[in-house]
Amino acid sequence: MRLKIAVLIARFAAYLSKKILRRSGETIAGRVLLALYPKAISELSKGKKVICVSGTNGKTSTTKALVSIISKLGTVATSPSGSNLERGVAAALMQKSEFAVLEVDELHLSRVIEEAKPKAVLLLNLTRDQLHRMHEVKRVADRWAKSASTAPETLFIGDVDDPFVALALNSAAQSKRISFGGRRHQDGAVCPSCGKYLKWVRNNYKCSCGLSNSNPDEIFEAGSAAFRNATMANVVGKYLGAKSIAIDEKSLERSVDQIHKGVKANIRLTKNPASWTEALKSVTGDNAVLIVNAREVDGIDTSWLWDISFSGLSGKRVIVCGERALDIAYRLHVEGIEAEITSSFKEAISKFDSGASVQVLAAYTAFHELVNS
Amino acid sequence: MSQIKIVRIHNELLGTYGDQGNAEVLAFRAKFHGITATIVDVSYNDDLPTNGDIYLLGGAEDAAQLLSLEALQRGDNLNILHLAIERGAVILAVCAGFQIIGNKFVANGQEVEGLGLLDVISVPGDKRLVGDIKTTSSVLGFELTGFENHMGRTILGPTAQAFGKVITGHGNGDSKYDGAVNGNIFGTYMHGPILARNPEFADLLLTRATGRKYAQITDPLALKYATWRRKVI
Repeated sequence: MRLKIAVLIARFAAYLSKKILRRSGETIAGRVLLALYPKAISELSKGKKVICVSGTNGKTSTTKALVSIISKLGTVATSPSGSNLERGVAAALMQKSEFAVLEVDELHLSRVIEEAKPKAVLLLNLTRDQLHRMHEVKRVADRWAKSASTAPETLFIGDVDDPFVALALNSAAQSKRISFGGRRHQDGAVCPSCGKYLKWVRNNYKCSCGLSNSNPDEIFEAGSAAFRNATMANVVGKYLGAKSIAIDEKSLERSVDQIHKGVKANIRLTKNPASWTEALKSVTGDNAVLIVNAREVDGIDTSWLWDISFSGLSGKRVIVCGERALDIAYRLHVEGIEAEITSSFKEAISKFDSGASVQVLAAYTAFHELVNS
Repeated sequence: MSQIKIVRIHNELLGTYGDQGNAEVLAFRAKFHGITATIVDVSYNDDLPTNGDIYLLGGAEDAAQLLSLEALQRGDNLNILHLAIERGAVILAVCAGFQIIGNKFVANGQEVEGLGLLDVISVPGDKRLVGDIKTTSSVLGFELTGFENHMGRTILGPTAQAFGKVITGHGNGDSKYDGAVNGNIFGTYMHGPILARNPEFADLLLTRATGRKYAQITDPLALKYATWRRKVI
């Protein structure tokens, strides 16, 4: 079947999905397209300057920032819903454009690079996440490194303060190593390149095999994860000839403000130890609601809740809900924080007086339900 | 004994799957029994303390597992563990940690000699075993739940006893048994962490480590959590 016909059918499937099922239609379009035309990603990437964004945390917001940077240069295809597997990538590429900025899942990056032959790949970070699916952090890192070593035309840009990103960049023919002055890494005890115990001096690492975060191509001041991601998006933009945008950390936090029955809720996406730790730093008010689920995309095992220190919540009013409310409640209990357990977000919010401000940290599936409701 | 020392071994290497919580749960439960618990973190470059009451090892990726083994074979560390076992100290080793304290295991494609504290050998299987696990243990007399995520297949030698009989999940790989036990040495594939999910097991370890019987603890949330997980798995 010819590509054009496959695209037409995929568009029609998306139209039906939108009209009848009221879904975004992107997933179905991508699925149909790849089923009819398996080489669609490769074909549709031809003639486009493709940029991929991957990493454990910050993919969606960084992709958005990069789209706004690149859109000054020309038309940009992207997948706005954060659908980051091959089907989402294929659906995004159906749009006619000069550029494509694609968010890509860590485990699926290799295949997308192989097919889309991107001009640049931005690697944000790699930490433990959804281990029931990723299995091991090193497994993902090895895939990245192998993929980087087989894409000589692609520029790999990333934060080498993360040893796993540094390994991928070292394997690439073309790389731009960015540092924010060094930062400890929860999974950074072992050198991902040679397997030796990784030597850290304060926030910087240097292995005898050569892997280190020293001598970066560009160095920036330290900052929040949102700041780092936006800074790197600007570096990618600059490489393509775009002007930098002002960094708005708030807009890059993947959070939304909503009002529920007069209660002001700032809802933030939290999905693994690194993103929880980052989000907990921003819980400055007196009230917190934590929503924990354990569906496929949340990670079906909750053991990682024990990797996080919740001591910052001590003294605040903490209410928990979600399918795994008990898991988080017990974890907090052992840390000396007694949370109120509720059966739903609605019930949790109803515990606060109208006018109260509440910071909500929500698991992936819970976040999307709240944002799309 | 009103004081207890919990030794968390190589958390930076053996802490990938949340097992560090076992130390916290032990210390927390100890408080109910009127025991003051201290958690001592021992890192790769440190020597093991000689006076630990409970030694904990957790799950890890292959390279980290090999480094931990190397550190435990260094200097006097293995001897310290043998002496600790002789005086009745408890060892709880999970997943990669369980393999480390066995006779042999395979990591990154190489077969290595373990610490030989449990009579087991582990080899990689052809498929990763991932999911909820429930066992019943004659050693404990109650059901345990946890989460397994491993490639390992563990075979018990004549002097090791299986720790749990598998109700749901795979355990040592044969879907029949999980882990191994010999005296106060416990090996298992169960994360969760196992002591958070099964607080009665934490109490048993405290009893074994101190040689004292304690009154039952009333902690409704712990009981509610453990009971609920046993019901749904």
